[in-house]
Amino acid sequence: MRRVAVFALVLATGCGNDRGLPVTGIGPAPLRRLSNTEYLYALGDLFPSLHPVLPPLPADNSVSGFDNEVAAQAPSDVRIARFEAIANLYAAAATQDAAAVAAVTGCADWATPTAAAACSAAFIRTTGARLFRRPLTSEEEAHFVQRFTSWATAVDFSAAVQLTLSAMLQAPQFLYRAEPAEAALPVAEPLVPVEAYAMASRLSFFLWESVPDDELLRAAGAGELQTEDDVRRQATRMLADPRALRLAWDFHRQWLGLDRIMTDEHAVRTTEIDPAWTPATQAAALRESRLFVERSFAEVGTFDDLLTSRRAFVDREMARVYGVGGPAEAETWNEVMLPGDQRAGILTRAAFLAGYSHRGGTSPPIRGNAVNLRLLCQLPTPPPDGVDLSMPVADPGNGPKTNRQLFEERTAGGCQQCHHSLNGFGFGFENYTASGAYITQQTGLPIDASGEITGTDVDGPFANAVELSSSLGTSKVVLRCVAQKWLQYALGRMPTLEEGTLVGELGTHLIASHGDLHLLLTDIVASQTFRMRKAEAP
Amino acid sequence: MIKRRQLLKALGMGGLASLVSLGASRRSRAADAATPPKRVVFFITAHGHTPNSWMMPIPGGSDSVVSERPLTPVTRDELGLMLRPLHPFRDRLLVVEGLSNTVNLANISDALRDHTDPNNHSVAVASLLTGNRVRQQAGVPCTGGARSIDQELAVRTLAPGRFGSRVYGFDYVPNLTVAPFSFLGPGQSTPIVSAPAVAYQDLLGGYVPPPTGQPPDRAQVIASLRPSVLDMVGREYEFLGARLDAEGRERLEAHRALIRDLELSLGAGPSALCDPSFAATGHAVSQFMRLIRLAFACDLTRVVTFVAPVPQCPEFGYPAEAQVHPYAHQAMPGGSACGAMYNPVAEQAIQDLGVWYANHFVGLLEQLDAVIEGNGTMLDNTLVVWLTELATPHHLHNDTFAVIAGGRHLGLRTGRYVRYPRTLPSPQPNHVLLGPATNRLHVSVLRAMGYPDDSFGLTEVADSSGGTIPLVGPLTELFS
Repeated sequence: MRRVAVFALVLATGCGNDRGLPVTGIGPAPLRRLSNTEYLYALGDLFPSLHPVLPPLPADNSVSGFDNEVAAQAPSDVRIARFEAIANLYAAAATQDAAAVAAVTGCADWATPTAAAACSAAFIRTTGARLFRRPLTSEEEAHFVQRFTSWATAVDFSAAVQLTLSAMLQAPQFLYRAEPAEAALPVAEPLVPVEAYAMASRLSFFLWESVPDDELLRAAGAGELQTEDDVRRQATRMLADPRALRLAWDFHRQWLGLDRIMTDEHAVRTTEIDPAWTPATQAAALRESRLFVERSFAEVGTFDDLLTSRRAFVDREMARVYGVGGPAEAETWNEVMLPGDQRAGILTRAAFLAGYSHRGGTSPPIRGNAVNLRLLCQLPTPPPDGVDLSMPVADPGNGPKTNRQLFEERTAGGCQQCHHSLNGFGFGFENYTASGAYITQQTGLPIDASGEITGTDVDGPFANAVELSSSLGTSKVVLRCVAQKWLQYALGRMPTLEEGTLVGELGTHLIASHGDLHLLLTDIVASQTFRMRKAEAP
Repeated sequence: MIKRRQLLKALGMGGLASLVSLGASRRSRAADAATPPKRVVFFITAHGHTPNSWMMPIPGGSDSVVSERPLTPVTRDELGLMLRPLHPFRDRLLVVEGLSNTVNLANISDALRDHTDPNNHSVAVASLLTGNRVRQQAGVPCTGGARSIDQELAVRTLAPGRFGSRVYGFDYVPNLTVAPFSFLGPGQSTPIVSAPAVAYQDLLGGYVPPPTGQPPDRAQVIASLRPSVLDMVGREYEFLGARLDAEGRERLEAHRALIRDLELSLGAGPSALCDPSFAATGHAVSQFMRLIRLAFACDLTRVVTFVAPVPQCPEFGYPAEAQVHPYAHQAMPGGSACGAMYNPVAEQAIQDLGVWYANHFVGLLEQLDAVIEGNGTMLDNTLVVWLTELATPHHLHNDTFAVIAGGRHLGLRTGRYVRYPRTLPSPQPNHVLLGPATNRLHVSVLRAMGYPDDSFGLTEVADSSGGTIPLVGPLTELFS
């Protein structure tokens, strides 16, 4: 059962008050295209019984760390060709026989001209509203009816359904999230509410990464998305829906770089590290992190749990890596509790640990940099030109050394300007091999995984990654970074300097709520920045 | 039974116009066949090459003026190690020494001043083909800040039934994000197609064979209505765009224009003069080299950018546990605050990697040279420009690697090794003198392709002492 927020947080000042923030506190609301993730989820939700094999979409540009960055959504000929191909595939699958046509149109009969006309009009109205996330305007309806009639005459009714569906799936009303201005207000207002159906789309594409459901569209039509309470009520409902798990995973995999584990570098591990590691281990590590993130988000929902939980879901391969008992059968995933002295949250899981390693060994600076960049929002300083990035190796004449000792030697002296922080975090993960397995000795020597947190409000020494994660989970600096990243993901753009106040407020409330992520997301959608937009100049 | 008049009526709502345009497209393509079109390939490889592996001495050469050495009499062993695979094409090469990615140096200076991303890799991949300021955003790696040269040429060579460009190759992840090199505009990387089979479908997948005299079946009729669907979709973009603000309207207009291009391309089959067959066999790089020939031969595009893969080390003879990036950092002597790092094994590995790339580069030249065009071959009408991400494996941006192959009929005087003197100041203090900027190589490409531009990207950058470094004008010494 998800922990209930200890107290109701209403953003009573600043972003919680519709009139509380100056106009300059709200950034731009540019036209957003559906990201690849949103597009594919939308298709799946709209046509749950169809599973055509699709060509690959060109990757979304992850120019700011997330793939829904609006500034990087320029169209290209490759993308347009893929959209057309996919629309045609779905349209063909949805009309493959008479039963399918009946299902997609909702009509039992289109044999007579009268029945066909009624059916086509209903199909266009109903399907159009589902795909465009709002009722069609009379002009739009006329466009599609006219073309439908022409295609039905040229071929047949079913073909017209197919071609109309293909056209709708390529239309801007489907692929883009247009937010037409509301009707003119009686008095000049610096801010205007986001139009009701557009608000439904803002909510659904953020919290579900997909189209609104019937309830959201109903609420929009009934004027029940106008107030902060309206929006909070819907957000609470939506966060309890399994579709919110998509958001949890897609945000965390991008923010923490968890899918780095799937790059070619991590397809193998050297024999010394893990001779049993295969590409299947890669996939299992990613799956394990996904299951953990989703369950943590759904059932606890705090940042602290994300960074401290020992709960895990393992198949045989992950059980092997973690050294715990696993399921007897392949393809089975069991819930287990990992040893409390070894594991604490997502930073101590294989996807993170191996994804920020080399195939032949660990690199404390790489892992430390990940903490700096991802959790503290600190941009890394690149290594100096010509710096030796190879793995340090022990001089055979000087006896064995631990990896930590070798890196301490490599990064001594002037390097400490940056490596004091990188190593401070990175050495904390030295109990984990490049495959994520837990070890206490290297080359016969005990591993020292102690380190020092710097640049936060919880600065100080720690003994190992368990202590490090526990401290970071409560750090105000980290929680503010978390709030900033979530807001960025919600808006599809970096928060502007003008929105710094909102970032601060969100961080403050996240801290006060002890890292309640559901409350953070509800605060975001209830904020003026999410619910309002600048009025267009007349 | 399909009613032809009704079909034409359905098409006529926009599709008919498309078919008329298609006819014009085919006619223009046939007319082009008499005069081979000008084309360009940008062949991009990661990191950089060690100077020892490609630079050549020029007997009697000068450090203060442009010097050159004919390549035709040069033996294979007189070429640098990584250029030796190119020996059979030496009379079709221009090996250019001394250019500088000057804009990179300026971008890095700016980033250090502004506390944004100064990473050499990020900056290099974001500006190699743009010659422009990078797009910086706090907290994330920088990216391209302007349209790249290949996409500029794509816009200029786009025609009904012909793609502006194709970008093929493999994800290169030197830093934190994939480096695409090619940009449609600021922050907008051009989609890169990494599967040859998909690339082939893109080239010819829209082709609907002409009628054979038999009445079309239902599926064929539905397929023939694709232009009509696209026509309607395009009109919806106009309809909705008119109801949005200027920025939204501009976005939808860009999308609509591409839909119209796709509509016009449907049904436009390959020229009768080309062979559209393709077998997805062999190394993926080799498949792409064949696809480039096919795309050019069928005039389906005139601009291709190919981003070569960073291979696994066993592909060029090194252990599986080794990695290219550390090899690159250790391939050249040079100190840093963190100690010496030169490793002769790494230098050899980077040279061998260069040979691996060169073998694939030659594979492309062979493909292009196998197509007879006019009084020469396709290679004579194509510039194949090989550039590297960085000038050297250890992050320098001056004295960059540049090889141009082909283009004899585009005004280039090939068969030469050309050295530019390093006489220009740098944007960075205490830096070595620089040769001409790669911006001027891009201008030279524009000139060879028939465009009279004097500049591409930035026209000048500030040097470290308050003066300016000009970046304009073609490299006239490369031309006849």
